Amino acid sequence: MAELRNYAAPRSLAEALQVLASGPATVLAGGTDLMPQSRSARVRFAPTLLNIQGVAELRGVRRRDGAVEIGALTTIATLRDDPAVRNGAPVLWQACDHFASDQIRNAATIGGNICNASPAGDTLVPLLVLDASVVLASGGAAGIHERRLPLSEFLTGPGRTARRPEELLVEVRIPVPASGWVDRYVKFGTRPALDISTIALALGGTLFDGRLENARLALGAVAPTAIRAHDAERVLAEGPLDRARIDRVVDAADAAIHPISDVRASDWYRRELVHNLLRRILTDVCPN
Amino acid sequence: MAPTPREEAFADSLIGRRVPKLDAPDKASGRTRYLHDINVPGQLHAKILRSTEVHARIVSIDVEAARRVPGVHAVITAADVPWQRPIGITKDHMPLKADVVRSRRDEIAAVAADTVEAAEEALRLIRVAYEPLPILTNSAQALGPGAPLLHGEDLRVPGRNGALEVVHKACSDNVSMAYEYGHGDVTQGERESAVVVEDVFWLHYVTHCCMGVSGVIAEFDASGNLLLYSNTQVPFLHKREFAELLGIDPGRIRIIQPPIGGGFGSKLDIYPFEPIAIFLAKMTRRPVKLLFTREEEFIASPTRQPVLLKLRSGCDREGRLTFRAVDTIHDNGAYTSWGATTPFVMMQTISSLYRVPHCHYRTRAVYTNNPYAGSFRGYGNLQATFAVEAHMDKLADALGMDALEFRLLNAQDPGESTPQGMHFRSCGFKECLGTAAERSDYEAKRRGNLEHWNDGNPIKRGIGMASMLHVGGGAKMYPSDGCGTIIKLDDFAKVTLITGASEIGQGSETVLALLVCEELGLPIDSVTVVNNDTAITPWDVGVHASRTTFIGGNSAIGAARKAKRKILETAAPKAGRTPDDLDLRGGHIVLKATGERIQEIGRFLRSLHFSEKAELVMTTYYYEPPSVHLDRNYKGDVSAAYAWATQVAEVEVDTDTGIVRLLKITAAHDVGRVLNRLGIEGQIEGGIVMGQGYALSEDLLVEDGMIRNPNFRDYKLVTAPEIPEMDVSFIETMDGEGPQGAKGVGEAPAICIAAAVANAIYNATGTRIYALPFTPEKVYRALRGANMPPKWPEDAA
Ligand SMILES: Cc1cc2nc3c(=O)[nH]c(=O)nc-3n(C[C@H](O)[C@H](O)[C@H](O)COP(=O)(O)OP(=O)(O)OC[C@H]3O[C@@H](n4cnc5c(N)ncnc54)[C@H](O)[C@@H]3O)c2cc1C
Repeated sequence: MAELRNYAAPRSLAEALQVLASGPATVLAGGTDLMPQSRSARVRFAPTLLNIQGVAELRGVRRRDGAVEIGALTTIATLRDDPAVRNGAPVLWQACDHFASDQIRNAATIGGNICNASPAGDTLVPLLVLDASVVLASGGAAGIHERRLPLSEFLTGPGRTARRPEELLVEVRIPVPASGWVDRYVKFGTRPALDISTIALALGGTLFDGRLENARLALGAVAPTAIRAHDAERVLAEGPLDRARIDRVVDAADAAIHPISDVRASDWYRRELVHNLLRRILTDVCPN
Repeated sequence: MAPTPREEAFADSLIGRRVPKLDAPDKASGRTRYLHDINVPGQLHAKILRSTEVHARIVSIDVEAARRVPGVHAVITAADVPWQRPIGITKDHMPLKADVVRSRRDEIAAVAADTVEAAEEALRLIRVAYEPLPILTNSAQALGPGAPLLHGEDLRVPGRNGALEVVHKACSDNVSMAYEYGHGDVTQGERESAVVVEDVFWLHYVTHCCMGVSGVIAEFDASGNLLLYSNTQVPFLHKREFAELLGIDPGRIRIIQPPIGGGFGSKLDIYPFEPIAIFLAKMTRRPVKLLFTREEEFIASPTRQPVLLKLRSGCDREGRLTFRAVDTIHDNGAYTSWGATTPFVMMQTISSLYRVPHCHYRTRAVYTNNPYAGSFRGYGNLQATFAVEAHMDKLADALGMDALEFRLLNAQDPGESTPQGMHFRSCGFKECLGTAAERSDYEAKRRGNLEHWNDGNPIKRGIGMASMLHVGGGAKMYPSDGCGTIIKLDDFAKVTLITGASEIGQGSETVLALLVCEELGLPIDSVTVVNNDTAITPWDVGVHASRTTFIGGNSAIGAARKAKRKILETAAPKAGRTPDDLDLRGGHIVLKATGERIQEIGRFLRSLHFSEKAELVMTTYYYEPPSVHLDRNYKGDVSAAYAWATQVAEVEVDTDTGIVRLLKITAAHDVGRVLNRLGIEGQIEGGIVMGQGYALSEDLLVEDGMIRNPNFRDYKLVTAPEIPEMDVSFIETMDGEGPQGAKGVGEAPAICIAAAVANAIYNATGTRIYALPFTPEKVYRALRGANMPPKWPEDAA
C-alpha cells in the first residue's frame, strides 16, 4: 500500500469523473474484492484511491422505457430486496440470493461485481442472459460523456474489461423481457452460502409451443469470462426441445467452454457439471 | 398433590438441569478478553519468517537490513540462540532452523518490534538463500528405496556443560515412530472365517480452525522468572517442558491461560512460535506478544493425522467377527508431534470396538516434507472407526445379515473385558445401537433405499450407521492422570473452586461448579471458578482424552465432600444430631430424612469463623483414577470408564453433481449420566458438526508440501444452513466410578459421523468410497468410476 498517495471521496459523479480524468486512480466501491486482493498483493493501488461510496446518484433501481436501470453502486442486498428485480428479472434475483453471505451482500455492489470481471462473478451470468448493457461515463465538470456497451463486449478477460482508465461504470441497463419469458439459474458450489461458483448457468427465452424462442444461454466459471453460448442458443431456436435437441444443446455448450482446473474443481468436473445441470434446467423448462 | 418436604428438598438437585455456561454472558456480549485483547505495558510484537522452500539447505540468512528498520528491537536466527533445544515428543524439532528446512512452515528468523507493521517490514528485508533438496510428498515415497532421509543425522545440541549431546538419534528409514499390537492369532481367525474383506482407506488432512488464532505473550521479570500468557491445554506439563528448554527450574515458570478461542487438541504440544517468543523476550528484556495471521494458522498449526490404512477383517457363518488385521502408514510430516501417537487410540478401536477374538495392528509414522500432524479431537479414532464401520456393513451385507443385528451380535455387554485389557464396568453399547436404530427407523429405511438405486431419479437417499468406543474416564498416559482441587468457602457461603482443570470452551467450569453445588446444596451462582494460573491452581495433567468432567469432576466432588463433612461434623453437636443425620440443601443445613431446615449455611460459616475456636472451611483433594498404564504390549485398563455412541446419518446424494447433503443425524450416546444437559447438548451438537466437516467439506489441500487453500474461502468449514437435523439420545449407564455416574464425552460426537456418512452414501448409491472427504467432485468421480481408490504401496510390505 506504500504507493497510495491521495484519497478522494467525491459527492457527485462530475467530481468523481474529474478525479479519474486527472490521473491514475483505483476505484473503491464496496471493497469486497479490492481489499482482499490488495492484501494478498494481487492488485496494486494507483496513486489515488477514489472512494465512490458518496456518489448518491449511482445508487438505486429504476424502471424506465422498458428497461430496468441499476446504478453501479447498488448493493447485492438491495437488488435482492427490490420488487422490480424480483419480478422483472428473476434470474438476476436468484443470483443475488445465492451470492456470498448477508454481510458481503450488504457491502458488495453490482458495479464492483462487473468491473472485477471474475469468470465466476455471480451477477454476470444472469445479466448476459438478460442481454444487459453497461453505461460508462467520463469527463468532469466541463461535461459528462457516456457510452454504452453490451456486457458481453465489456468483459474481455479474467479481471479485464473494456473500461478506459478515465471511465466509471455508472449503470447497468436490462431490457425488460417480453411476455412469456422464462428463465432458470443454477449456481453450483459446495455449500449453500458463502461460496464461489464452481460453475454457474443461466437460461432464458420465450416459451412457445414446446420450444424456447429467442433463447439465451450464459455460463460462468468455465471460460476466461462469463460467456454466452451462441451456438447452443441457435440449436435451441431451431425446434422443439426434445431429448435429441437437448443432447445437441449440451454438445454445443460443451464446445463453447474452456474450463480450467483450480483448487475448487478440475476442468473435467466443470464440464460434467455443465452437461448435467444444463440438461436438468432444459428438462425443467420444457418438461416433455 | 403438594410435594412432600422431602421431595421439595430434593427438587433443587442440579444434576441433569440445563445450566447456561458461566462464561456465556461475557462471550455473547463481546466482553471476554482473549489473549488477542491482552496488551502488557512495554510489550513488543513478534513475527516469524517462514521458509519459502519445502525442503532445502539454508545457504545463508542476511538479517542486516531487517535490523536497521526503525522500531525493530531484535532479529534472531538459529545463530543467535545456539543454546536452543528441540521441541516435540521425540525432540526432533529445533524452533529456529539452522541448516535445513523440511517444510513450508519452517521458522528461519524472528523479529520483535514496536509495532506489527515494523516487524513485518523487517521480515520483508531478510534475505535467505536456499539450495533445494529432493522432497518427499507422501509417506509411500518416504518408505521407498533410495528415499532421501529427512532426519538422517544425529541432532546434537550443547548440553548443560557446553559439550554437544545427541538429543535425537539419526533415523535411517524415515520411520519416526512404529507400533505393533496383537492378540490371538489372525491366521487362525482367518481360517475360521466364512467371509473376509480387505480394503485400503485414505484419511485426509484437516485442521482445527480455531476461531482464535494461535498466540502467546512471554515476559521475564527482573529475577528472570518467566510468565507466559498461553492457550495451552496442558499448563503443568508445559511448565516443565519450557523449563527444560530454557535450562531453568520449573518453579520459575508461571503460565496464565486467558480464555481460549478454541482448542480441540491443537494446544497439546509446544510449537516453535512459543520458544521463539520466549527467546525474543529474553533478548529484548521486554514482554513479547506473538499472534498468528489466519494464513499462518492454516500453514503452521498442526493437522489431524492423515492415515493410509489397510484393514482386513472377517466373520464366521453366524456373523461373529473372527479377526481384524490392520496396517497403517501415518504421514508424520517433517517433525514428530502427537499425531504420531494416535495409534494408542486407534488400536483400541481396532482391538475392542465389538468383540474381536484375533487382532493384529501395526503402524509406522513416516517423515515427509508435509505439514506435521498433532492431536485433534478424537485422536485417531475417526480414522480407525471409518475403516472398522465400513467393514461392519460390508461383512453383514456379504453374509446377507441385517446390519444392525450383525452389530448387536458382536457388541459387548457390561462387565466384559477385551483382549487388550479394557474392562467395561458400565457399557451402554447395545442400548446405543438399539436406540439410534429405532429412533431413525434404520432397518426399514436401509432396505427401502436399495429399491431406488436404479429408478432413474438422480437424487438418492441413504442411511448409514456407525458406532464408536472411546475412553470415558481419562487415559493414563503419564505417571499421573490426576487433577487437584482446592475449595474455599467464605463467610457468606460463596465458594471459590480452584481447579487444575482448564476451561477450553468445553464448559468444564460450569460442570465443575455444578458438581460442587450439588454436594454443598448451594446455588450455581455462588461459585467462582479459578482455573487458569499455574501459580494458583493445583496440578492437572491437562485437557485431553475427554477427561475433564470425569477426572476434574471427581476431584471437585472430593474436595466438596470434605468441606461438607467438615460443616456437618461441626454443626451436628450443636444441633444435637450426628453428622449422618444432616445434609446440605437449598443453602441450608437440613435434616436428611425430612429436609427440615436447621440453619443457613452462610450463617453457620460465620458462626464458625467468629467463634472461640475460629475456623474457616477450606479443603483440598487430589483425584487419581483407578486406571493403569498400558504395558509393553499395549495392554491394560487405561481408562477408568469407557464411552460408546451410535450415530445414524441420513443423506441425500445428487448423482448429477456428487453433492451430498447431510439431512439428519440420530445419535445415541452412553454418557454415564447427564450432568449439565445444556452443556452436553452443545458438546454433542458441536462435535457432530465437526464430524460433518471432516466427512463432507473440510480438506486441507497439501500438494508437494504446499498448502493450497490456507483460507476460509477454499477451506470449507460447515456453515449454518448445512447443519443437519439432530436427534440426540442420552443413554445413562450410571458409571460406578464417574462423577455422579457421568463419563467423558468431549471427543465422542465427532468420531463416527464420517463412517456413518460413508455407509449412507453406499446405501444411497451402491458406491463405496474409501477416501475422505466426500466433497462433490470426489463423490462424483467415484460414482462414475473415475476416481483412483487409495492404494497400498507395493514396497511397504
Ligand atoms: C467473503 C466473500 C464472498 C464473496 N462471494 C461472492 C459470491 O458469492 N459471488 C460473487 O460474484 N462474488 C463474491 N465475492 C466477490 C465480491 O464480493 C463481488 O465481486 C462484489 O460484487 C464486488 O463489489 P464491490 O463493490 O465490493 O467491489 P470493489 O471491491 O469495491 O471493486 C471491485 C473492482 O471493481 C472496480 N470498480 C468497482 N466499482 C466500479 C465502478 N463503478 N466503475 C469502475 N470500476 C469499479 C474496483 O476498482 C475494483 O477493481 C465475495 C467476496 C468475499 C470477500
